[in-house]
Amino acid sequence: MSKIIEANGLTKTYPPGTKAVDHVSFTVDEGEIFGFLGPNGAGKTTTIKMLTTLASITEGECSVGGYDVKTRQDDVRRSIGLVPQDAAIDGDLTGMENLVLSARLYKVPDETMKQRAEELLGLVGLKDAAGRLARTYSGGMKKRFELISGLIHEPKVLFLDEPTLGLDVQTRMAMWEHIRGINKDRNVTVFLTTHYLEEADSLCKRVAIIDHGQVKALDTPSALKSRLGREVLEVELPEGVDFSAKLSEMGGVREVTKKGNVYSLRMENGGRSLQEVSVGLWELGLKVKDVRLTKSSLDQVFLNVTGRSIRDEVVDNGDSFVARARAERARG
Amino acid sequence: MMSETKELMVRDLKKWFRSPAWLFASLVQPILWLVLFGNAFNPTSMIPSFQGSGAIKSQILQSTFGGAPNYITFLTAGMLCFLVVTWAMWAGGPLVTDRSLGYLNKLLVAPISRTAITFSLLLSSILKGIVLSGMLLVVAFVLPGGLTFASGFGVVDLLGVFAALVLLSVGFLWLFMILSVRARKFETLAAIGSTLGLPLLFASSALLPTASMPGWLSTIAGVNPISKAADIIRYLIVQGTLSGAILSTVVFDLAYLAAFALVCTLFGVYTSNRGLRME
Repeated sequence: MSKIIEANGLTKTYPPGTKAVDHVSFTVDEGEIFGFLGPNGAGKTTTIKMLTTLASITEGECSVGGYDVKTRQDDVRRSIGLVPQDAAIDGDLTGMENLVLSARLYKVPDETMKQRAEELLGLVGLKDAAGRLARTYSGGMKKRFELISGLIHEPKVLFLDEPTLGLDVQTRMAMWEHIRGINKDRNVTVFLTTHYLEEADSLCKRVAIIDHGQVKALDTPSALKSRLGREVLEVELPEGVDFSAKLSEMGGVREVTKKGNVYSLRMENGGRSLQEVSVGLWELGLKVKDVRLTKSSLDQVFLNVTGRSIRDEVVDNGDSFVARARAERARG
Repeated sequence: MMSETKELMVRDLKKWFRSPAWLFASLVQPILWLVLFGNAFNPTSMIPSFQGSGAIKSQILQSTFGGAPNYITFLTAGMLCFLVVTWAMWAGGPLVTDRSLGYLNKLLVAPISRTAITFSLLLSSILKGIVLSGMLLVVAFVLPGGLTFASGFGVVDLLGVFAALVLLSVGFLWLFMILSVRARKFETLAAIGSTLGLPLLFASSALLPTASMPGWLSTIAGVNPISKAADIIRYLIVQGTLSGAILSTVVFDLAYLAAFALVCTLFGVYTSNRGLRME
C-alpha cells in the first residue's frame, strides 16, 4: 500500500526553545483512518499545522500526497483538506455560500462544484439547511458542515483536528459514522487528532500515542491493547488470611496487589489466563465472594507508555484544558 | 490571484450587508457629524448678528475658508476624508476576527496567494468608502444651507474628488492592515483606532483651516495626508475650474497622496505577507 504521508524526525521548536513536537516519525497508508491520540498540549495540533503547511518545520522531513511539505507547499495545499479545531465555516454566510467560496478558492469548476456540493450535503444530511446562515446551525450541524467543507475540492487527505471536541456522546458517534462514510465512499485518507480514547479505538485503523511531543507507541488499537494493555481480575476472597503468594503462583498472573480482602490480579494478555485462575481458585477450595474482569483498554496502553492516565488528564484539567486549547490556537 | 481576491472581497461585502448595525453606523455616523458638528461649530455663526455682520461672515469665509460659500461646504471635504480614514482603520477587522475564530487557517491552508487575503479586504473597504462618500455628498447637498458646488464643477472634478479619497484611503488601509495582521485581538485594533482617529482629524485641515492653528500644529497638519486630500477636494468643489497656482497646488497634493499611498502599499504588502506566513 502506498504511503500518503511520510514524516521523518519531524520537529517544531517555538521560541525561546520550546519543543512542541520532538523528532516524530510515522507513515500513513493511502485510504486509512490514522489517529494521533494524546492529551492536550501533546503536540497534536502542531503536527497537523506542519503537515498542512501552516507551521514551518524546524527539523526533519515530511511529504504529504507525494509532495515535500517544505518545497511544494501549493501542491500539498491542493492535495489536502483541513478541518481546524475551531470555526471552519463563516457564520455570516449560508452553508451553500461557504461551500461555493471554498470551491472557488480551490478553483473547482462551477458545474462540478454544484453536483459535488449536493452530494456532500446529502452525505451529512444537511441538504435542507444549505440555504440558512451557518450561524443558525446547532453545534452538531456545524461540525458536520465543517467536515464536508474540507472536501469540496476532493482532497486526497483530510485532516481533522479534534473533530468531535465538545460534542455530546450521541452526536459524536454520528460524526464517527460520517467520518467512516467519507473515508470509505469517497476514498479519502483521514488523519485525525483526538484525546478521546473511544474515538481512536473505534474509528482509527492505526493510532499513534503522542505525549510531550513524542510518539510513544504506534500500531492498530487491538495490537496496542494486547501488547501494552493489561487485563485486571479483581477477586474478593474471605478475610483473615493473605492469599497473595498463592494467587501469584497461578498461571497467567503477572502481579498481585491486595487491598483489604480484594486482590487485583494483573493478567497476561489474551490466552487462557482467566480460565487458569478460575481453575486455581477452585482447586484451592476458596469461597470467592466476587470476581470482576477489567478488559484491556487504550487508557491502560496510554498509562503504560506515558506513566499517567489520559482520563485523569482530561477530567482533572477540565478548565485549564479549554484555556490551553485556546492558548495553543491563539499562537497559531 | 485576481479571482481569489474577488471571491474574498465578495465575502466581506456580503458580511457587511448582513450586519445591520455596521451598515446603519456607516451610513448615519458621517451624516450626524456633518449635521451636528457642522452646525454646532460653524465658525461664521459665532459672529453675533449686527448690521454688516453678513459682510464680515463672507469676508471670513473668503479669507480663511478658501472662499467656501458656507461652513458645511468646507466641512464636507473634511468629513469625506474622515469617513474613508475611519473605514480604513476597521478594514482589517475581519482578519483579526478570522484569526481569533480560527477561520484564517482555513484560508491559509488553501492554495491561494497570501496577498489575496489582505487585498480583498482593501478593495472591499475602498468600495464601501466610495459608496458611503457618494451618499455623504448627496446628504450634504440636500441639507438646508449645505454643500454648494462651484458653477464649473463637472464629472472630471468629481473623479478628482474620488481619486483623492481613494489615494488617501489606500495609504491608511495598508498602515492599519499591518496592525490587523499582527493583532491577535479585535480590542487591540479598536484601542489603537479609537485613540488615533480623532487626533488624526484634529491635526489636519479637515475641520478648520490650518492657518488658524498654532505653528507646531499647523506644521503637523501640513504634512498630514488628510489635509492634502481635504484641500484637493475643497479646491475642486469651491473653485470649479482650476488654473494657475491652484492647479499646481492640487497636482502637487495629488502627487503627495500618491506617494503616500505607494510607500504604504510597498511597506504594507511586505509586512502583512510576513505576518501571514507560517508560524
